[in-house]
Amino acid sequence: MHIPDSFIPLSQAIVYWIIALPFIIMSMKWAKNELDEMKVPILAALAAGIFAIQAMNIPVGMGTSGHMVGATLVAIVFASPWAGVLVLTLVLLVQGFAFADGGITTMGANILNMGVISGFVGYYTYVMLRKNMNVNIAAFGGAWVGLFISAIACAVQMWLAGTFPLVPGLMAMGTYHLIIGFIGEGLITAVAISAIAKSRPDLLEDSFAAGNERLDMEATA
Amino acid sequence: MSGNSNMKFLYAGIAIALLLSALAPFLASSDPDGLESAAGGVVEEVRMSELEEAEPAVGSPMPDYAIEGMGKGGEVAAIAIGTLAVLAISFGFGKVFNKKA
Repeated sequence: MHIPDSFIPLSQAIVYWIIALPFIIMSMKWAKNELDEMKVPILAALAAGIFAIQAMNIPVGMGTSGHMVGATLVAIVFASPWAGVLVLTLVLLVQGFAFADGGITTMGANILNMGVISGFVGYYTYVMLRKNMNVNIAAFGGAWVGLFISAIACAVQMWLAGTFPLVPGLMAMGTYHLIIGFIGEGLITAVAISAIAKSRPDLLEDSFAAGNERLDMEATA
Repeated sequence: MSGNSNMKFLYAGIAIALLLSALAPFLASSDPDGLESAAGGVVEEVRMSELEEAEPAVGSPMPDYAIEGMGKGGEVAAIAIGTLAVLAISFGFGKVFNKKA
């Protein structure tokens, strides 16, 4: 879903940078308040893993492929969508400057879509689902919805840019990303969270508390 | 909870990330991604070729995760370099912010 420079006129690309900037600054404030010596290695490992897995495009049929974004996964592990914004900002910086994956002018839009929208929608969908469902299903659902909504936002931006017509753009982006979200985002996020829950349940303590009603029920059962 | 087991998490993360870096050039689909596919379907042909031919605003040392003239080995190297760069930047960022706190 990385938008290249040519897809958005410069004036609009600057607007997305201006919208993204306060979120980037807030994510740094989060890092300043929440990151400690203990959490830095977790953040670095997740960032490296997400960069690598984004290089692995999965075929989704119809001559289309897609990859994981990862903001929801990071947000669940750190129990904060700001962590997702921060990691995706770092990943997108390296992708844009070193590998021409996503433009520099459009990086604001890419951070907004993949870091902010995907991270926030994904995380709060997870928190809502967690109240009634087990952690794996909630993680799957959150990641899926987060990716889908960010693709819809991208389609609207493409329309505002004059690049895509509105309805066909929404249909195409929506259809492809429903599938990419299911396989690339939902399943991988659920598998990763399940693996972390098994090997390092302590890491997810804060995140489990986010759906604490369910947890209380489990504890008393 | 200990710093030791968090370092273990880091090493496991690095191992998984480098494994993915080595596999990605061979396993990744070469089909266009969702945005490019959508563009191919909804954008008029003339406009589409304009979009495709447009140069990025800033040049990159390893466009498309490849090193010129190095084939698959170069792709593995490019993704591995990127993975280690992200690792170093996020670790460095964490350390710097940590000290300020």
